[in-house]
Amino acid sequence: MAEENDCLMGDVEKGEEPMVTITGGAYSGKQAAAGEAAAAEEPMKVEGAAGADACSDDLSCGEAGIDPSLLELVDEEKCRSIRKQYRQLIYNVQQNRDDIVNTSSESLTEALEEANVLFDAVSRTREAALDAQFLVLASDLGKEKAKQLNSDMSLFNQVAFCDFLLIFVGLNWMEDDGRDALSDCDDNIARSFWETVQKEATSWMLQAETFHFIFGSFKSEPSARKPRLEPRKKVNRMEENGDMPTKLRKLDLSSNQEATEKEVERILGLLQTYFRKYPDTPVSYFEFVIDPNSFSRTVENIFYVSFIIRDGFARIRLDQDRLPILEPININRVGEGNDSSSHGRKQGVISLSLQDWKNIVATFEISEAMISNSY
Amino acid sequence: MSQKPKSRGRAGTQAERGSGGEEAPSTSRGQGGAASQGGRRAEASPAPGPRSQKQLELKVAELVQFLLIKDQRKIPIRRTDILRHVVGDYKDVLPELLRRAAERLEYVFGYRLVELEPRSNTYILVNTLEPVEEDAEMRGDQGTPTTGLLMIVLGLIFMKGNSIKETEVWDFLRRLGVHPTKKHLIFGDPKKLITEDFVRQRYLEYRRIPHTDPVDYELQWGPRTSLETSKMKVLKFVAKVHNQDPKDWPAQYCEALAEEEARARPQTGGAAPTPAPSS
Repeated sequence: MAEENDCLMGDVEKGEEPMVTITGGAYSGKQAAAGEAAAAEEPMKVEGAAGADACSDDLSCGEAGIDPSLLELVDEEKCRSIRKQYRQLIYNVQQNRDDIVNTSSESLTEALEEANVLFDAVSRTREAALDAQFLVLASDLGKEKAKQLNSDMSLFNQVAFCDFLLIFVGLNWMEDDGRDALSDCDDNIARSFWETVQKEATSWMLQAETFHFIFGSFKSEPSARKPRLEPRKKVNRMEENGDMPTKLRKLDLSSNQEATEKEVERILGLLQTYFRKYPDTPVSYFEFVIDPNSFSRTVENIFYVSFIIRDGFARIRLDQDRLPILEPININRVGEGNDSSSHGRKQGVISLSLQDWKNIVATFEISEAMISNSY
Repeated sequence: MSQKPKSRGRAGTQAERGSGGEEAPSTSRGQGGAASQGGRRAEASPAPGPRSQKQLELKVAELVQFLLIKDQRKIPIRRTDILRHVVGDYKDVLPELLRRAAERLEYVFGYRLVELEPRSNTYILVNTLEPVEEDAEMRGDQGTPTTGLLMIVLGLIFMKGNSIKETEVWDFLRRLGVHPTKKHLIFGDPKKLITEDFVRQRYLEYRRIPHTDPVDYELQWGPRTSLETSKMKVLKFVAKVHNQDPKDWPAQYCEALAEEEARARPQTGGAAPTPAPSS
């Protein structure tokens, strides 16, 4: 190609119109290239070769004036085909990589020779770069082939190594089950295998033992927490112990008198509610006081009602049947109450035994207590 | 002063008996120690600044503890970590501290502090005592038994010419029930173990093979392997498994012999920062 340009420049030197000649040459070249690129190349090369002898002296000045667009027009097809061939070669070699490396075939040498032929037609950097890429690939494969050569001499069979490992551990009976014996076997067998191998392996290595403190490493954090926890626990226990007595104390502290007063007030409220509901109707003492379900409650009720009577909120007297009844005392009559009290206080003692209580419940047919329980 | 470690027995008592046994790593005894220790200290007395011997001893003790604990994971200890966590202000006497710490480790534990590669500024601990059969029972459970797997892989690599493709490794391990993608009963994630953990511990090198499609990697011995074991030992392991003589593999045997001879020659500019006893 360079020769051809020199030839053209040579024409310029001779005084002919450069543009016409060159263009003409270019067009003729292109038309030829439209057909077979190789065929077009041949006559041009011949011309170039012929012209080269004539203008070999003019090489230096000729090159300076080359128009780069010329090169593209003329050889684009050719270069494209070269690049395509290179890429094909690289692809082939990569695909057959295993075959080339592992077998003792000549395919790598053939590929190299093919690349040599291709390189003869290379004149630009693009194709040269592809050529360099192929060369790197080929040399890597060559290196691997060389390595392969080494290991073939060693006679080391890794499949046999695997079997020997199993025999070494003592699992020879596994061989009959097939290749993947260890993968589906018992967990314990696998574990014992690896432990045995480990034991053997460590005897061939100078490994430093992993260092561990016997009682564990001392970290300040947990040890600081422990003393804090203990007093907390003790405090909790103390509080719990303290809770019980305080509760009891609280119960104990609630004086009987307070409870009594509260009860009396409550029962007075009940009594007054009744009187409001049924005004001017005295209630039978027994019916009011007696709790058919509990004798002790009955006694308490009698006790509380006696306070009510003592304070003058109700009056107890015998009716026509000579049964005791409770009568309300109006607040208006408080003054009279005082007078009546000044008239004379009478004392009465009511005695009630369990049998009496049962008799009264049966006689009066008391089904439920009028004084409800506070609890 | 430098005592040749006993060739047999890893029992701690033996190591201590062989050394100035009172040199405990704790710092309670700052000035105590064997007379040799005192002599050495006199030589090292020009410590810059107002640093007392007691302070230095404390630092050395801390450094020893640091190295021991850092070595648990078997990942090489970096010089920068040492500077940051232990040495701090005592940066200027770091070589001295390292030297003393290495001495302690050797005398008390039988461990050698070596630099992984020259000028790499990373250190590992190597046992100086040969392993003994009886110790294996005493050792008990030291975590997952990865050394077995490692030794198998190392054997494979060496016997196949010091380099092996990852696919070949898995073809082999599959027969032993170890799969790259399946969870293993003992090893958990074997692929991670081999291609990451062992590499991080510098037992293996894991490199990508160029121009491969699909991408493949090759495994080679790492620097730690060369320090902790040797080609001859690995060959003997393989031979023992085969129940054959190492000489049955002439190529590998020659290679292993050559390495032995190279090691026996005095090292030029030794890798260890301590005056290690010639092995």
